[in-house]
Amino acid sequence: MSDRMVFKVEGVGKKFCRSHRHSMFYGTCDVLRGMLGRPSHSQTLRAQEFWALEGITFGLRPGERLGLLGANGSGKSTLLRLLAGIYQPDAGRIEVRGKICALIALGAGFHPLLTGRDNVYLNGAILGMSKRAIDRCFEQIVEFAGVGEFLDAPVKTYSSGMYVRLAFAVAVHSNPKVLVVDEILAVGDAAFQKKCFEQVAALNEQGTALVFVSHSMSAVERLCTSALVLSRGRQAFQGKVREAVQFYSGTVGNGIVQNGAVPEPIGLGEVTFSNVCVYADGGAVADPNIEFGKDFVIQFDYKFLRVQTHDTQVRVWVRTIDGRDVQRLAFQECAFEDQSSYANVKILPLREAGTVKIKVLRPCLFPQTFRVDVAMAPVDRGIHLGGLNNAALFNIVHPRNPGMYFEYGNHTITEFEYSVTLS
Amino acid sequence: MVGNVVSSRELIWQLFKRDFLAGSKQSALGLLWILITPLVGIVSWVVMNAVGVLHPGEVGVPYPIYVLCGTTIWGMFMGFYSSAAASLTSAGGLLAQARFSHEALVAQQLAQAVIAALANLALLAAVWAVGGLSVHWSALWFPVSLLPLVLLGTGIGLIVSVFAVVVHDITKAVTTLLGLLMFATPVIYASNVPHDWLQRVIWWNPLTYLVGGARDLLLEGRINHMSSYAGAVAFALGLFFMAWRLFFLSEQKVAERL
Repeated sequence: MSDRMVFKVEGVGKKFCRSHRHSMFYGTCDVLRGMLGRPSHSQTLRAQEFWALEGITFGLRPGERLGLLGANGSGKSTLLRLLAGIYQPDAGRIEVRGKICALIALGAGFHPLLTGRDNVYLNGAILGMSKRAIDRCFEQIVEFAGVGEFLDAPVKTYSSGMYVRLAFAVAVHSNPKVLVVDEILAVGDAAFQKKCFEQVAALNEQGTALVFVSHSMSAVERLCTSALVLSRGRQAFQGKVREAVQFYSGTVGNGIVQNGAVPEPIGLGEVTFSNVCVYADGGAVADPNIEFGKDFVIQFDYKFLRVQTHDTQVRVWVRTIDGRDVQRLAFQECAFEDQSSYANVKILPLREAGTVKIKVLRPCLFPQTFRVDVAMAPVDRGIHLGGLNNAALFNIVHPRNPGMYFEYGNHTITEFEYSVTLS
Repeated sequence: MVGNVVSSRELIWQLFKRDFLAGSKQSALGLLWILITPLVGIVSWVVMNAVGVLHPGEVGVPYPIYVLCGTTIWGMFMGFYSSAAASLTSAGGLLAQARFSHEALVAQQLAQAVIAALANLALLAAVWAVGGLSVHWSALWFPVSLLPLVLLGTGIGLIVSVFAVVVHDITKAVTTLLGLLMFATPVIYASNVPHDWLQRVIWWNPLTYLVGGARDLLLEGRINHMSSYAGAVAFALGLFFMAWRLFFLSEQKVAERL
């Protein structure tokens, strides 16, 4: 291992078994083989086994901050457990120099019936701290966690935020060489997350390396200097954090886009939609990656299959990938019956067929994947003449200039400003 | 292995304290349960003997004293077995969340068995004192004579703890077998029985000598079958060290299957 490395991962692989029955059998065989001093079948795949991680190679130097990016099931948590020494690799090797402190689950070893005070000592002991060392920093732990008045209450009465604050406070005071943090910080509120980031930065200056997993790319980009992208258990990319985030958004994230965008027709089928796409204003139509804060275009073609008999409203929804509404845009051919119109509804004539371009101005959407649903309906009725759910997906990616985030103040998503062009 | 236990002493203490405090917080009688369970067992054997259902044979001392000694000694064996067997499975999620010496889990579990054993020894001493029973000076070796027995229980428990992670039935199967084995060990009856096959099982059963030897020492001040006792001690120590080694080699590999 290079002199300056705190750990080095070389060609590491980890396999799991899909079938519990097979797993029981293999486990028994492996124990018996171990008893007889014979090697287990760790490097070969037996029936029902699969590689959850394969060929992972990287190293970390003191003070380095590595982000782990990847979709669900890509192997991030398995890799963290390998780094923390909880799992043993089935292939390759991991060399560690110094103490690794892993925050993989909320309050490892915390007992719900014991008080916060008792749990600080228990958790500290699990992290390898002596009682004397815990005594020395006890006040700092309590202050950092901000659980002062509840310190002698059982932790089962704590909120999840208090739980994670206490666990994180103990971990950062255990003086680790490497801090491994899974997504648990997402439980804390914004103020605590800020405090955590500052504490991590302070530890970092003292030479503590960080491995950080999060689905929040803004958090990864803010905390880490480099990143590793995992895709289906393989190392898809390793490099500077900005490049890794862009790679993840553009490649792995796009994988989600392509795989997930299975349009689902809705309504009476009296109007069809096609060529639905979302792209950066001024960018390539085929590129669904849009930089944070930049204008983008939602474009689609429509065609009425039957002669219009209604004043029609065009409805476009921007939703998160799991279906939560972010914004609804609508424009229609006339005002409502009472001649009113909603602030966000524009009045525009529709032809029998055409192309719609909706330009969304300065959207405050934070980096993640979104989906677009489109539909047309009579202004005065709830039924859809036609439409497509999951019509297109797009990624909001990090801005080249992180200062963009600050221009958006308290990060509240406000109603989109947009313009519509029909052709 | 020993080094791991020594270096984890603070963790062992914290885990012990955790289970002790948490257990006592949800219990009205707390530590008293250590005494209540064996006492109920003793009373039931004595009652069965008194009404003529149980014929223990010639035991040489009042039956309540005989059965008190026998069940106390057997209880220690089972206590250490159960504690060791639960060392990995009782830790559950903790093993999947943090890296620490797993020997600490065994030590913490055994510490609880030690507390229970000390409480039972105190009960035995109290009965001796209240009853004004005579005791030979050699009986001072009684606690030492229990060591091979508790090491055998611990050894069996360690083997079970490793396999129980992959196949849960192991714990139930071995616990049931050990429950049966009590009836093939002179715990509640004398070592001479009128049935040939049972007599042969008793003679071949190392627990006969480990339980009987310790009881002999307490009641008579000597171990009656010394050579057999020595053989049983060698068996117990051999199994314990083999089990400890097996645990050390396998625990990391199996713990991740929890």
